Amino acid sequence: MVESEKDLQTPAVPAPSPDEMAKLRPTLITGGKVPADVTRDICTPLERGPTGLWWGAFSLSLTVLTIGVVAVTYQIAMGIGTWGLNRTVGWAFDITNFVFWVGIGHAGTLISAVLFLFRQKWRTSVNRAAEAMTLFAVVCAGLFPVIHMGRPWLAFWMAPYPNMRGSLWVNFKSPLLWDVFAISTYLLISAVFWYVGLIPDLATIRDRSKPGLRKRLSGLFSLGWNGSARTWHRYETVYLLLAGIATPLVFSVHTIVSMDFATAVIPGWHTTIFPPYFVAGAIFSGLAMVLTLMIIARKVMQLENYITVLHIERMCKLMLSMGCIVGLAYGTEFFIAAFSGNPYEQFVFFNRALGPFSWAYWTMVSCNVLVPQVLWFRPIRRNIVLVFVVSIFVNIGMWFERFVIIVTSLHRDFLPSSWADYTPTTVEVATLLGSFGLFFTLFLLFCRFIPVIAIAEVKGVLEKPRRDLKHDSAQGDAA
Amino acid sequence: MTQIPDNSRTNNADSHGQPAVLETGGVFGDESSTINRRRFLEAAGFSISLAALTGCGRAPVETALPFPIQPVGAIPGRFQDYASTCAGCPTACGLLVGTRDGRPLKMEGLPEHPLSRGGLCAVGQALPIGLYDSHRLTGPLSAGKSSEWASVDQEIIQAFSQIKEQKKAVRFVTPTITSPTLQANIDAFLAQFENAKHVVFDAISSSAILDAHEQTHGVRVLPHYLLDKAKVLISFGADFLGTWISPVEFTAAWSSRRAPTEEYPEMSYHVQIESRMSLTGSNADRRVTIAPNEQHLVLSRLAHEVASLAGKPLENSPPLEGSLADTEIASLARKLWEARGESLVLCDSQDKATQVAVNLINHHLEGYGKTLDVKRPSNQRQGSDRDVQQLVEELEADQVGALLVADVDLLHDLASCQTLADAVGRIPLTISFSQREDEFASLAKFVCPDHHVLESWSDAEPIGGLISLAQPTIRPLRETRAVLESLAVWSDRPTTAYEALQSHWKKTIFPRRQKEASAQFVKFWEQSLREGFVEVEAAKSVVGDFKAGEVKPLAQQTATGDFSLILYTKVSMPDSRHSHNPWLHELPDPISKVTWGNYVCVSPSDAKELGLVDGDIVKVSAGDEGPQLELPALVQTGQHDGVLAIALAYGCKGTDRFAKIGPQWFEARPTVLENELLGKNAAAFVEFRDGAQQYLRSGVTLSKTSKRRDLATTQLYNSLEVPAEVAPHGAERRDIVQHTTLNAFAKDTHAGAVEHHFDGDTQLWPEDHPKTGHAWGMVIDLNKCTGCSACVIACQSENNVPVVGYDEVRRQREMHWMRIDRYYTGEGEDMDVDHQPMMCQHCDNAPCETVCPVLATVHSSEGLNEQVYNRCVGTRYCANNCPYKVRRFNWFKYEHDDTLQNLVLNPEVTVRSRGVMEKCSMCVQRIEAGKVEARSQGLPVADGAIQTACQQSCPANAIVFGDINDQESKIYEALENPRRYRVLEELNVRPSVSYLRVVKNRDEESHSG
Repeated sequence: MVESEKDLQTPAVPAPSPDEMAKLRPTLITGGKVPADVTRDICTPLERGPTGLWWGAFSLSLTVLTIGVVAVTYQIAMGIGTWGLNRTVGWAFDITNFVFWVGIGHAGTLISAVLFLFRQKWRTSVNRAAEAMTLFAVVCAGLFPVIHMGRPWLAFWMAPYPNMRGSLWVNFKSPLLWDVFAISTYLLISAVFWYVGLIPDLATIRDRSKPGLRKRLSGLFSLGWNGSARTWHRYETVYLLLAGIATPLVFSVHTIVSMDFATAVIPGWHTTIFPPYFVAGAIFSGLAMVLTLMIIARKVMQLENYITVLHIERMCKLMLSMGCIVGLAYGTEFFIAAFSGNPYEQFVFFNRALGPFSWAYWTMVSCNVLVPQVLWFRPIRRNIVLVFVVSIFVNIGMWFERFVIIVTSLHRDFLPSSWADYTPTTVEVATLLGSFGLFFTLFLLFCRFIPVIAIAEVKGVLEKPRRDLKHDSAQGDAA
Repeated sequence: MTQIPDNSRTNNADSHGQPAVLETGGVFGDESSTINRRRFLEAAGFSISLAALTGCGRAPVETALPFPIQPVGAIPGRFQDYASTCAGCPTACGLLVGTRDGRPLKMEGLPEHPLSRGGLCAVGQALPIGLYDSHRLTGPLSAGKSSEWASVDQEIIQAFSQIKEQKKAVRFVTPTITSPTLQANIDAFLAQFENAKHVVFDAISSSAILDAHEQTHGVRVLPHYLLDKAKVLISFGADFLGTWISPVEFTAAWSSRRAPTEEYPEMSYHVQIESRMSLTGSNADRRVTIAPNEQHLVLSRLAHEVASLAGKPLENSPPLEGSLADTEIASLARKLWEARGESLVLCDSQDKATQVAVNLINHHLEGYGKTLDVKRPSNQRQGSDRDVQQLVEELEADQVGALLVADVDLLHDLASCQTLADAVGRIPLTISFSQREDEFASLAKFVCPDHHVLESWSDAEPIGGLISLAQPTIRPLRETRAVLESLAVWSDRPTTAYEALQSHWKKTIFPRRQKEASAQFVKFWEQSLREGFVEVEAAKSVVGDFKAGEVKPLAQQTATGDFSLILYTKVSMPDSRHSHNPWLHELPDPISKVTWGNYVCVSPSDAKELGLVDGDIVKVSAGDEGPQLELPALVQTGQHDGVLAIALAYGCKGTDRFAKIGPQWFEARPTVLENELLGKNAAAFVEFRDGAQQYLRSGVTLSKTSKRRDLATTQLYNSLEVPAEVAPHGAERRDIVQHTTLNAFAKDTHAGAVEHHFDGDTQLWPEDHPKTGHAWGMVIDLNKCTGCSACVIACQSENNVPVVGYDEVRRQREMHWMRIDRYYTGEGEDMDVDHQPMMCQHCDNAPCETVCPVLATVHSSEGLNEQVYNRCVGTRYCANNCPYKVRRFNWFKYEHDDTLQNLVLNPEVTVRSRGVMEKCSMCVQRIEAGKVEARSQGLPVADGAIQTACQQSCPANAIVFGDINDQESKIYEALENPRRYRVLEELNVRPSVSYLRVVKNRDEESHSG
């Protein structure tokens, strides 16, 4: 939020002339792009058809997804026993993956909604992809609570609807039920927000397409967009409202996910710090994933002018701040454990740091707290390769954070007689891989068929137009 | 008309009242006008006949009819209990066979039985699964091929007549037979031959005790040990709470002296001096480990001290060496002496001289007639190892013409089993009565399978003058025949076991009846049958005066080689006959907590020296020529250095059947490896020395191999002290098992209580669910509980708990609803072992209930935490949130394909499908049945009328269950006990299960209070 405050304060400074303003504001889109360039740059790859690189990536993702599908099919056919869980560790990879993907799904809405409300213009280059990522991550996440059930075919029993199953109803006291509402709400709002933002761009595609399936579909989904001021006005209002609705969700979803743990009696789970800690962690992991994807996308899709070092740097700053919050949360957990005088709580934290899963704990701390500290340095923030490496570390670290919370708390709880180990099976590893397969398959399809950058929004943040808008309109630009 | 013995579980008041009378009627189209008991059982078993007998191809279709006339007392869907006798081992505990619709399902202890007092061990509980075992022989075998009884009989009779002509030797080998009828029939059968002998071969023999009494008392008997009379008890290696002679009886007697109260803060003082970690040692007030070869020395020094105190000092004083200080022995001797008449020394040694020293001590302590009885001796071990040794010599010399073996696998359990196979093959006539093709049976010319114990008539006289009856509770499922009947056919006097039994009773038991017994045999018989046992005059035995002069002080035996090997039996596997019992294989050993197979126990410091960890395969060999085997190692806390211990009765033929038990998926490891058997047979290490089988062998070497086989253990962490490297300051030990000492308890009955900052009376929310009707609760006395694990099998049998196999246990996914947590505290001799039965605590503020999203686990108005299987979708959230980790998840669809074996399932309890959670229900089906029964009589539920399965079977009587709202109830009283505490009370989950603190009879102050 550092950046946004600075920007908000800008008007308070004695008003400089527009030219001076331009000098103060860094250029968001480089390469001297005009709106027509933007349309062309972003729509051409969609119209040109997939490249060899895309096909390669897509077949790889699809293969990995197939592995996951096979694993899940086998698991559902045989039973949860094909996972490495036991009587003591009842959740491990399943819920770790769930929380991990929900976390990934946070950056999208944060970038679209929160940064939108804070008038962070740099968001325009990344918001579309980030939102898509959110959507796909939530899809991946939503899979795990279903397949982790002993009888997944009865998953609909979680839904509180009038039914013929006697007087049976759901348990509103259970955080798992809250999850059902939180995740489905989030998925719905994210999808609507993403779709609404997409409407002007779909119209652009419609207008550029030759008659055919593409034109018919984009025509259908652009809902008769005509680019009129009236349309724009309505659109902006809806978008603002949706951003307002989506913003609390950024905080609520992970708060509720954290309550799966916080409301339990298990030491290491039963902590009031979990909601903010989880939200920060989620945003942190989401930003890391956005960075990972955007760095690849700008390179592969030649979007260097749209996703510039400036964007990367700002994302890095945001990630650094979140990393610091997460680090603070780790410290606070330890402090509270020591301060509480609760021996079970104290034990859990000693056990995390020094017990059988200490390797996971220190992986988490190194990846999430230590590695991001390099982002304090501007040259590193602007070094795309290094940033990519850091983002990968954070992704790994955040997966381990959930693993540490779930597994190390469970594996040694109250009665030492029941302490157990946990080792994942092939099926579990394949399921985790499969979720990445699903995610990347969806993301690649998205890159193939939908503008990865919000054309309409980017045009709004271009440098002062060199040609006037009339000229652009004459070229047939709907935006 | 014949009377039906009836001991109804639900209607105890009637059990000794008017017996039910069955009307005449030919249920099976039988023309006979009377239905005897046997016929009735056949009729009662009709429901089983459809399922079971179709499998065997002998079901006459017309029998699958409903009762034309309802047998009196038989109510479809209701349990009917029959008093019987357990034949799981020669102990002959009283048994109550719960049958339903003609199927024996649940074994319980016979409450009135004077020895077992209502308890029953795990082996007894596990009988039904052996009955419904589809791998049992379906009929007789001749030369390994399936045959008909008629042709087998003909061949055998012919062979016997040849033997008679040729005057060849006939040898009949059995383990200890407590049945007077069978004994008499064997004697009568053997009397036909000129050179015939009954050889009693106990795989786990107590021969030396009998031999020692022959020397000191002039009569070869095993004394009846009266542990409830013993205030001071010193046991040298005798695992009397686990496996030694009569564990159920001893547990009941021992535990009766382990409950100090406010008024009488007294309890027995129990010292265990042993080399390996036994269940008994784990419960002792003081446990001393000595090297096995020191036992002689320590005992003779103790004998010396006791004799001096008695004023009859021994001539030669033993050398003052060994690890136990002289003052220690003197103080033990003084303790024994001060309590003379109420003190007892036990010893498991197979060395006659050592046992003579034990007799001397007990004699000086005035124990004979008080704490041990030779006038009404025990018949529970009769084996004569000299006879066995002689038999082996005869076999090797080809002097035996006919060898009959019943109830023991001669070629598996005998030390020289591996070398004898050829000799056995050369015998003209070999007959096995085994129910399975065991090692001997597979070589025998004829296999004439005996009935399962639940299918046969029998009797037992475990203690002189106490005779019990065993009655069949189902028609034989297979074409099997009782040994009695086989012998009768071959003697050309065909009879049924029932008739043989009755005629023997008429002839010999009835005349011994006590004065108050009925003078009519029919009434005497019926009463005995209904009650399960009868006390009669003990057979007269001539006990000579104690011959003290024959006791010599003993020198310490010098040890050779690296290690001494102790061969023992596990609590779950007393002999190889039970090797096909999956329940027993999956029962965690009470000490090691290992399931499925045997292993080499190594002391922790030896393991450290050799770099061994659990599961490393080691090679144990006794010299170059001697036997050797490879087994996984287990590091056993509390075992003396230089000692190895291996369980016998493993590696039995046919146990490769368990290779595929449990879920089969691609990462599953087989329970039995290819071309291997379950465990290894260590019998070859048994030595015949000094006329006895020696279970201790010195000169054994141990070497590590590069192989590994993980042990399937249910408990990975064994201490209440958290690992030092992660222990928070001041919370190194968890007070899950609370302790005190008798001394501290006498001063303050609340000694040992742990102070919590938690105030249980203040609750955040009002009590909005008052339990106005019943409120079920349970109290477990940890001071009585020995950890014997009978309750685990009782629960498994009652609640249809599946067997999951080696791999699932290894993955910590055992399904037992009830487990016994075992914790070690401290090290070396100061080490304490705690056993804590743990099952669903039925918390009032249950953490599992709030988290279930679909309300599959809910609270009943009677305080039970109920699991609704149908509703469960399997999120496992409840199990994660359970502080006691008692919830069990159905990871797979556990096998229920064996339709015969499925007959063991209790119809009162749902068989759970995969993907659902399950746990202890506090036997809700029994609670409901008890309530229904009370309601039908218009009476309130009487205290004690409802018993949970675990409570019923507990030999130590450590479990009290009942209605907390009933102020007259035992549970109400137990809750007032100052030793009462609740596990994890500070969590405010308010469990319905309480525990009573452990009190050790020690001088020092309580260390946790």
